[in-house]
Parts: sequence; structure tokens; C-alpha cells
Amino acid sequence: MSSLKTRLRGFAAAVLLSLTLAGCGYNAIPTYEEQAKAKWADVQNNYQRRADLIPNLVATVQGFAKQEQTVLTAVVEARAKATQVKIDVSQLSDPEKLKQFQDAQNQLSGALGRLLAVSENYPELKSNQNFLALQSQLEGTENRIAVARRDYIEAVRVYNTSLRTFPGILWAATFFRANKPMAEFTASEGASTPPQVKF
Amino acid sequence: MAASAVAAARTARRLVLAGLMLAAAAALAAAANYPALTGRVVDGANVIPADARGALTARLADLEAKSGIQLVVATVTSLEGQEIEPYANELFRAWGLGQKTKNNGVLLLVAPNERRVRIEVGYGLEGTLTDALSKVIIVNAITPRFKAGDFGGGVSRGVDDIITVLTTDASEWQARPSLRLDSRKDNDSRIALALMIFFVIMLVVFSLPVVRQHFAGPPQHGRRRSHDGGWTMGGESPSTGGSSFSSSDFGGGGGFSGGGGSSGGGGASGSW
Repeated sequence: MSSLKTRLRGFAAAVLLSLTLAGCGYNAIPTYEEQAKAKWADVQNNYQRRADLIPNLVATVQGFAKQEQTVLTAVVEARAKATQVKIDVSQLSDPEKLKQFQDAQNQLSGALGRLLAVSENYPELKSNQNFLALQSQLEGTENRIAVARRDYIEAVRVYNTSLRTFPGILWAATFFRANKPMAEFTASEGASTPPQVKF
Repeated sequence: MAASAVAAARTARRLVLAGLMLAAAAALAAAANYPALTGRVVDGANVIPADARGALTARLADLEAKSGIQLVVATVTSLEGQEIEPYANELFRAWGLGQKTKNNGVLLLVAPNERRVRIEVGYGLEGTLTDALSKVIIVNAITPRFKAGDFGGGVSRGVDDIITVLTTDASEWQARPSLRLDSRKDNDSRIALALMIFFVIMLVVFSLPVVRQHFAGPPQHGRRRSHDGGWTMGGESPSTGGSSFSSSDFGGGGGFSGGGGSSGGGGASGSW
């Protein structure tokens, strides 16, 4: 009888302990960390999606504007470079790495912008159905990138705040010593407003 | 003494910084005030004639009854200085259109004063109502009528086309919505299983006589915990990982409300 009682007491203590830990925000840090990582995966996926659209776009433009070889090569090269820079989730606390990624992607954005500007000069290209579809897909992807970046910035803010504020700061100093604040994605100009692809 | 004062000052500074960040976030969240979701057609700019509004509402209700898809038409007098893309995305999320597990919502947003229109597509429908198709609908069905000042007609035709795209390819969209959600549902059940196993293990551990003796008084709990935190980490951390993921608080009214769906910026915009 009494052994059952102590057993129950032990179980109750275990439940209480886990509830107390949860109540004290023990879960917050890993939760926010996972969320931020998931948001990063979204960011990277959307950039990848953009990179996937480019070969098709380049091929279409080439069909109408062969003489724009320099602009086209610039896009192809920038794409190759941008797809090489990948960030593993464990590297998110490294601002240098994040900056590399961002620079490579910005370069691709610039090259793409020039390509689209140049294509304005080719009326036949501009009315090509394939080109129009690609253009709207590209526009949509740029918008998705903007949304994914915004979500990531917000998730990182929440995570970093939890590391620096009470009660998270206590856990960060004890159990989660290995958890470093993640690098802030500087919202570059044009990130909050998706680039307008004019028709 | 001096060192501790410095440390205290640093902690205080950090706290102030964190407080500022929170305040900034709160300000950001309250920056735009969105109209309330009063029905399937929220005509804030008052450009859709009453009879067209009634017909639209009936068709949109029919769509949801048949497919579960929540398509909402909204017109606003102002985009609050934002571009239409971020505004539409935030409005979509504030309203939580579509079922939470399927994210099958669509928002047709019209800003007559800015002369901008956007179809914002929820995650679950991105594969069916693609960016290119959304653009085609805007360019062919909507903006030519808006140009002529026929907002009721443009919206009606746009809604018709969206419904056509969404419903003709039934097998497609039935397969799609699971893209994002099944993985999450899967996650949830795995977490539940992990928790259950955790508690069973705890039960067994605590009923072992040796452990029971060891855990006789409350002070030992603290000591053991500081010795190794391993066992608490294993089972604990994921328990809130899946559930707190999306914010689904939305204010619905008049018997109609969003289901907590979200959007990642799919769709297309146009102007006239």
C-alpha cells in the first residue's frame, strides 16, 4: 500500500518537474531555434526556386536576343555562384557566412534585373507567351523570397530575444550554452518591396 | 565588487535592449490596421454593387461547401502606404484564410485608389492556382473591366476564373494540399508518441526501488538535475515544437471566419 503511494508520489514529482520546467520557459529556446531553422529552409528553398527558373528564362531570351550575350552570361555566372553558396542550419550563427550568401544572391538579383531591363527592347520577346509565364513566375518567386525573408527575420528576432531575456537567459547560461544567437538577415533595400517586373 | 557592478550594468543594458526590440516588434505588428473579416466579400472601398455582392457571396459559399476552399474578396480604400504584395500577405495571415491543416485559402484584394489588384494564394493551393495562372486571370479577366470602371464585373469574372482553375483539376488539388501539412501532422503524432514513451520511462524509473530511495526528498531533485540535464532534454524539447508554429488568432464575424490557413506570397498582382 505504502509502496504504491511512494510510487505515485514519484510519478507526480516527475510530472510536476517536467511541467515546472516547461512553465519556466525551458522549451522556448529549442522551440524558437527549430522555428528559425525551418524559416531558413524556406528562404533557401525560395532562392533555389528562383535559380531553377533561370535556365529556362535564359534560353527563352536567347531565342530572341542573341546579341545580348554579355548580359546573358552574367546571369548564368551569377546563378552558378549563387547556387554554390549554401548555408547549413548549423552555420546560421555565423554572420560572415550569411553575408556571403546574401551577396551572391544580390549579385544574381542585379544580373536578373539587367536581363529584364534589356528584354524591354525586344517587342517580340515581350509578347512571347513562354516569356510572359516565366516573368510572372519570377515575379511570384521574388515575392515569396521577400515573405520568407521577413518570416526568417522575425523568427530569428524571437529566438535571439528568448536567449537574452528572462527566463530564457537562465537556460541559455546553463543548459543551452551551445546555443548562439543567429545572425540577423539585414533587410536589404528591395527586400521588403518585391522588385517590380514591368510588363 | 566592481566586476559584479559591471556585469549587472551589462545585464541591465541587455534587458533594456531586449525590451526595445519587443516594443519595436509590437509597433510593427500594429502598424497597419486591417479591416475585419465580416464576410466572404469585404467591400471596404464600396465599389461592388449590392446585387453582385450577394451573387458573389453565394458562389463563394458554394465553393467552400464543395471543396473546403475559402476564397475571399476584399476591397480596401488604402494600402496604408505599403506595396500590395506585403499588404495582401499580411491581411491573408491576419484573417487566416483556408483550413489550418490545408492552407487552402485565396484572397482577391482590390485597392481601387492605388489601382492595384492581387490574387494571394495559400500554401496549399500554390500548385493549382499558380503564379502564371493568377497573372493570366488578372490580365485577361480583371484589369480590362477595372479599366472601364466595372468593378463588380471584373471581380465576378475574376472569381469565376479562379473557381474554374481550382475546381476543374480536382485530382490535382486534392493531392496538393498535403504538401506542407501532412509532414506537420506526422510530426505531431511523433511528438505525442515521444511524450508517451517519455512518461512510461519516467514511470518505470521512478518505481525502481533504488531510484525511489535516492529521490526521497525534494532537495535531491535539484542536485540530480544539475548533474546531468540529458534526460530532461531528450523528451521535453519537441513537445511545443509543432503546436505553437502558426498563429491562428483571427477575428471573424457574422458567422464566417478564417480557418487559420497561411500564405507564403504565392499568386500574382496587376495594375490598371
